[in-house]
Amino acid sequence: MPIKSYLAHPITGMKNDLIVSLTQYEQCEVIPAENNEVVILITDTQDDTEEHILKEKIEAIPSLKLLAMVSGFNTTKN
Amino acid sequence: MKKRLGIISFFVILFITFIVIWNYSYKKGLEEAYIPIKEQSLDFGIPSEKGVFTRAEFALDYLNMPVDEAHQRSLETYYDNRAYPGAPPSIPHELLKGERGIGGKACLQCHQNGGFVDKFDAYAPVTPHPEMINCRQCHVAQNTQTLFAISNATKIQAPKAGVNNALPGSPPMMPHGIQMRENCLSCHAGPAAPKEIRVTHPERVNCRQCHVPDIREFADVEIFRRTNNHQNE
Amino acid sequence: MYTSTLTDRREFIKKMAILSAMTAAATMFPGIIFAEEQESNIPEGANLDWKKGPCRFCGVGCGILVGTENGKAVAVKGDPNSSVNKGLLCVKGYHQIMCIQAKDRLTHALVKKNGAYVKTPLNEALDIVANKMKETIQEHGKDAVAMYTSGQSTIPEGYVASKFMKGAIGTNNLDCNARLCMASAVAGFLTSFGADEPMGCYEDIDHADYFITWGNNMAEMHPVLFSRMLEQKNRRGAKIIDFATRTTRSSTASNRSILFEPQTDLAVANAICYEIVHNGWMNKSFVEKHCNFSKGLTNMGYGLEDNYSFNDKPSTIDFEAYKKFLEEYTPEKVAKYSKVSVKDIKYLAAIYGDPNKKVVSYWCMGMNQHTRGTWMNNLVYNIHLLTGKISQPGNGPFSLTGQPSACGTAREVGTFTHKLPKGVVTNEKHRRLAAKIWKVPYERIPPKPTYHATEMFRAVDRGDIKFIWTQVTNPLVSLPKTGRYRPGMEKDSCFVVVSDVFPTPTSDVADVILPASWHIEKSGLYGNSERRTQHWDKMVEGPGETTPDAWMTIEVAKRMGFGDLFPYSEENHVEEIYNEYRQFHEGPKHGMAPLEVLKKESGAIWPYVDGKSTQWRFNAKYDPACTNGEDFHFYGKPDGKAVIWERPYEPAPEVPDAAYPFWLNTGRVIEHWHTGSMTRRIPVLHKAMPGAYVEFHPEDAEALGIRNGENIKVSSRRGSCVLPASINERGLPTKGQVFVPFFDENMLINDVTLDAFCPISKEPDYKKCAVKVEKA
Repeated sequence: MPIKSYLAHPITGMKNDLIVSLTQYEQCEVIPAENNEVVILITDTQDDTEEHILKEKIEAIPSLKLLAMVSGFNTTKN
Repeated sequence: MKKRLGIISFFVILFITFIVIWNYSYKKGLEEAYIPIKEQSLDFGIPSEKGVFTRAEFALDYLNMPVDEAHQRSLETYYDNRAYPGAPPSIPHELLKGERGIGGKACLQCHQNGGFVDKFDAYAPVTPHPEMINCRQCHVAQNTQTLFAISNATKIQAPKAGVNNALPGSPPMMPHGIQMRENCLSCHAGPAAPKEIRVTHPERVNCRQCHVPDIREFADVEIFRRTNNHQNE
Repeated sequence: MYTSTLTDRREFIKKMAILSAMTAAATMFPGIIFAEEQESNIPEGANLDWKKGPCRFCGVGCGILVGTENGKAVAVKGDPNSSVNKGLLCVKGYHQIMCIQAKDRLTHALVKKNGAYVKTPLNEALDIVANKMKETIQEHGKDAVAMYTSGQSTIPEGYVASKFMKGAIGTNNLDCNARLCMASAVAGFLTSFGADEPMGCYEDIDHADYFITWGNNMAEMHPVLFSRMLEQKNRRGAKIIDFATRTTRSSTASNRSILFEPQTDLAVANAICYEIVHNGWMNKSFVEKHCNFSKGLTNMGYGLEDNYSFNDKPSTIDFEAYKKFLEEYTPEKVAKYSKVSVKDIKYLAAIYGDPNKKVVSYWCMGMNQHTRGTWMNNLVYNIHLLTGKISQPGNGPFSLTGQPSACGTAREVGTFTHKLPKGVVTNEKHRRLAAKIWKVPYERIPPKPTYHATEMFRAVDRGDIKFIWTQVTNPLVSLPKTGRYRPGMEKDSCFVVVSDVFPTPTSDVADVILPASWHIEKSGLYGNSERRTQHWDKMVEGPGETTPDAWMTIEVAKRMGFGDLFPYSEENHVEEIYNEYRQFHEGPKHGMAPLEVLKKESGAIWPYVDGKSTQWRFNAKYDPACTNGEDFHFYGKPDGKAVIWERPYEPAPEVPDAAYPFWLNTGRVIEHWHTGSMTRRIPVLHKAMPGAYVEFHPEDAEALGIRNGENIKVSSRRGSCVLPASINERGLPTKGQVFVPFFDENMLINDVTLDAFCPISKEPDYKKCAVKVEKA
């Protein structure tokens, strides 16, 4: 059950669009920075496949300039 | 003959006395001109206890004070007028008492105990060291926004609120030094305290019962190691 | 969106992921801010599994809740249901679980073979211990083996140690480290009231108008109680008076700080009594009804020589004789040598003397670690008895403890050489009761006490004790004059077994090291200063072969052929032992709460009678054991009366002179607990207080040309220790005094201290000896 965190950089001026797009996926958790053009994104998925699919969807968001992974955890089911 | 000898020896004694006294006072004069050089103290990290309980008498007032959300400060702007974390903040407003105002007659009127200042539509921050009254020795005014020459000084990162706990839910350690800021309540309580660092329990005045300094920023403390090579005899 | 509650382990990991992302963002964008992060970055841990217990450290006995997750302890918070601390802890309490995972944790038994420690299966190590003990008894007799336990032993641990030594083997060679901290308090209670432990409780704090602390830095040593006092100071205007030899954090927070010359507290206490008697502030009807006057022997000596023995011979006196005795202690006379002004003495006396003010006196090591510690305890009781300010809400003397079960185990179970779970070995009735419950022949329990702590280690040094087993304690850091006792324990004449959680200077000299379970890795019971018994269940598994101390004692007893006396099961021994132990205290004077109650509630205060804790003993309103029909009944004494003692001022055994011009005082700091074997392995605490130091008064430092942080050699006639100087930082000793905290095993100040003790209680004085200081 992977949990990953990313720094999502929006295309300049489109931070709000990015936040709106990201929050549409229920596996995504979003923490926008107050004073910089960057958003923290946490993904929480059931398994690797779901994780892959989600990542492809996110990368297709037009307001997203760059997605940089920071950390990844994988927990066992318990 | 005897009489003459007496007179001569009297003058000889007088002369010797003169030489002794002159020499003595000359030496004394030299001594005073010498200023002993005191070696500097070594800081090994035990913070001073001075002022720990200074504002404790207001603890209950802090507790009962409603939060004025419209005028609260936040860490976002807190470091704006500080050159680096821990630097004396510059004065972000005009000098109300003029250039020659000092201590109790000027700055301390608002900054000793704080309170709302209509003119700036803000609460005055409380100084943790009201006993030092030559305020502008360290705190300077901002009289211009332009620079004489562009500076390359980089702003180092300020400590963050909310990430200083060792365990989930445990009391955070102090992420900053406390020299001249031994009195916690002056910055961490009251309406001028930045909202992120405003203490939720100002009534518990013995702050260092639970919060201890994390002094890594001054001297890196290694984890405890048994040395067993104590020099005792 | 982002919320601040934690729902499960995944949430926790998520928070960690967020944290790392934030850190990464912060390196890219210095000064970046994420809103509302004050409390939310690190989760509160709302959905961890929280289990209750008492704190592992001091004698206050705060209730803690330990958060566990997947079998690991990950968080601690104050137990809001505990009336002791009401949800608040101190920095040690909040971080206590962090020591468990220390890298150098003792996880397996170690047996010394040819000078090196060899990892050994626990079963084999216990065989070695049992065989060695058996052999030693066969060759040298029962009194050649000894056990030295602790005020940190749980009630079951202390109980099986006592049953094993006194009931199974039949020797009184059992003493504990509580001798070093609470013995004077015990002797004080027994001589004044005939019954050990305070009559009041912590709730006194909520009622008192004045708190007078005698040589007691509560802000650092009993911080949770001190915070309760500060709260009353702020809310109700209660006043705190700090009477001490050193200016500390407590002095700063107090309404008034009064400093005195070491040892003269005896004289000042008598001067307060003089003022009370001569100003007519005495509560005559109370004294007539409830008090006797006595005096004991004087010029008792200081126990500096081996095999020193002393027995007090009390004799009754009348009030006139007591009044005459007090003539020596007018404030004017006492002010001359105590360095306390006449005004201050009268001020203190007036507080105690005012019938409309409620006063609680608090003390701990300042009065107990005193060569006249028993006397000093008696004297403070005198003040409270003369004014009748005792055993009522907000009025009373209160002796604090330093260890979590100094009361519960050392004093109530009785792990002292002269004690039995009920009463003393010298009393035939008490021996018969113990023999009956233990199911051993009554003749087996010897009627004569043997070695108290200091004398026990002297006997090891002399070669009289050939086998010693220490549990839950670190004597080679905590004994006075360790310079003698370390080489003593290193001698081949004595086989040393050390049970501990971490390696210490004591385990360094062991022949066998047994790996003990830590606090929450076992079940147990502790008893705190206010007679509160608290139970906890095992919360996490210990690493490797770590085993509860009680179970290791039982295993050794079984191997020695005493299996029938220890018919307990490994899973349930705590419960079985406690139920057996409770029989000793049945009755209204000391009844203990049943285990079911202790499991449910955050502790209960004994005497626990008809389902109720007794908060104020000896007061007929609260204590069902009072039977004399009066308001008060001091039923510890046969005639129901407490004793006011004539106890004079006598000087300390070693006072500063030309060769050794400074007083040396030792003690603790808030960050570390006792010898630091646990707290120094907690990174938060170690970072805040990495090493010991020697405190100077600034004028002394200036005269000697000493600067802050410079290495200073502190030496006495016994040994020396090098430490950095600290000038006006944590504490400020009076002029002519230096102070050193004793937690640092790398700077052993107890090599310097004196092993003089109170002749009545046999508790050493760590607060006074003469030293010289020089730049190292």
